[in-house]
Amino acid sequence: MSTSQLTPVPPHVPPHLVLDFDFFAVPPGLRDPFDKWQALVDTGAPPIFWSPRNGGHWTFLGYDAIREAYRNHESFSNRHQSIPKTEGWPVLQPNGVDPPEHSKFRNLLTPLFTPAAIASLQGEIRRRTRVLLDTFVAEGHCDFVAQFSGKLPTGLFIHLMGMDEGRLGEFIALADFFMRVEDPAAKAQNAREIYGLLDEFFRAKTAHLGDDIASLLIRTRDTPGSGVSHEEVINCAFLLFVAGLDTVTSTMTCIWRYLATTTDARRQIAGCLSQPNELNRAIEELIRFYAVSSIYRRVTRDMTFKGVTLKEDEMVVLPDNLANRDPAVFDRPREIDLGRKLNPHLTFGLGVHRCIGSHLAKLEISTALQEWLPRIPDFRLVEREPLKIFAGPVMGFRSLPLAWEV
Amino acid sequence: MSAMRVVANLELCQGHARCAQICPELFTTDVEQGKVVLRQAQIPADLEEQARLAVANCPEGALRLARSGSGS
Repeated sequence: MSTSQLTPVPPHVPPHLVLDFDFFAVPPGLRDPFDKWQALVDTGAPPIFWSPRNGGHWTFLGYDAIREAYRNHESFSNRHQSIPKTEGWPVLQPNGVDPPEHSKFRNLLTPLFTPAAIASLQGEIRRRTRVLLDTFVAEGHCDFVAQFSGKLPTGLFIHLMGMDEGRLGEFIALADFFMRVEDPAAKAQNAREIYGLLDEFFRAKTAHLGDDIASLLIRTRDTPGSGVSHEEVINCAFLLFVAGLDTVTSTMTCIWRYLATTTDARRQIAGCLSQPNELNRAIEELIRFYAVSSIYRRVTRDMTFKGVTLKEDEMVVLPDNLANRDPAVFDRPREIDLGRKLNPHLTFGLGVHRCIGSHLAKLEISTALQEWLPRIPDFRLVEREPLKIFAGPVMGFRSLPLAWEV
Repeated sequence: MSAMRVVANLELCQGHARCAQICPELFTTDVEQGKVVLRQAQIPADLEEQARLAVANCPEGALRLARSGSGS
């Protein structure tokens, strides 16, 4: 869809490292969003290349380079990273800052997202999953995105923040728009609306504190000497809202599309729903294969990285999916092997900015499988026309029509 | 007991908890920061394969195996 302009290639970038690749484009006829990335590898793209699209940026293609960039936040910063470069976008806490500033919010939030803390949410996730399933199981069909994967993360955000359940519809509408909008001006307006709602929510919440994340943030803000401002609290809440939204929605959608078209996998997973070891292994494999995020970093200083000259303030894209399908690390990387044993995938990133919500995301997926498969053991994709695909920092399918016998 | 033990680097650990998932007998995570806690450093012989898998699956490279008794 994108028709971004070509920008002049900087003089330090040699011609053989330049490739006309539009990060946001969906090539005509694309049936699977991951094929766009795989095509880069298959056509011999340099493992580190410069694209003149979207303001000009680097892309790293291999596991090693992506891993190093993740782990070296001093050279590859999270501050003011965006493609194309934009001014005036708020600094999201803690993802948009690096240590030591990063530690302020990260240390505050981390205890709430440890495996032990997330395990206590199991009942809530199960309850919400059942509520969603109840709305369509008897119908024999659904749009998986609109009726399930697009709704579950938002419901959990409402719960984690201690928001009134009555606001769910409002936030689902905002989340839906956030995930669908492509026009930058409309996207910025949508973000302002979310900010406005969060600002209003946090002001009202101050008088009704509980044991939720919002209350923790407010108590910290109001502790003398904390150095945490109201704006930072809103930024942090905004990040928690959007970070677990289209990522989880898209990952689940890719997984259910695979299951809808792969009878053996449905049977295999249905057979291990109550065996944590096997189920975890299967889920790790599915999220290895369907790593929907491509992450931005900003180069902080002029340097030579794996033989390539990078300059300060240049942007880099790290496509998790290609790290996870790198044959140097993974055996038969283009196959889904639900029993895969060696699987050090980078789906949640690495280093200090490692996805804080990884345990929550995995529990959402495992719980959804545990609730869905016993009630809808067999389902199929209804593909009357090719599924609409989107690309960019998160990629996936706009909708996923499924059907089953009732 | 196997002749091996596990060594964890808490500077590198970021709390992915892949180790605790793969081999809960040897690894768990702390409540505060979610980082790895070794239930026991020495690896029982029957858990050696699981321990190796846990080490190999750590995406941060925060775990390694060492010979028992060796200082490194």
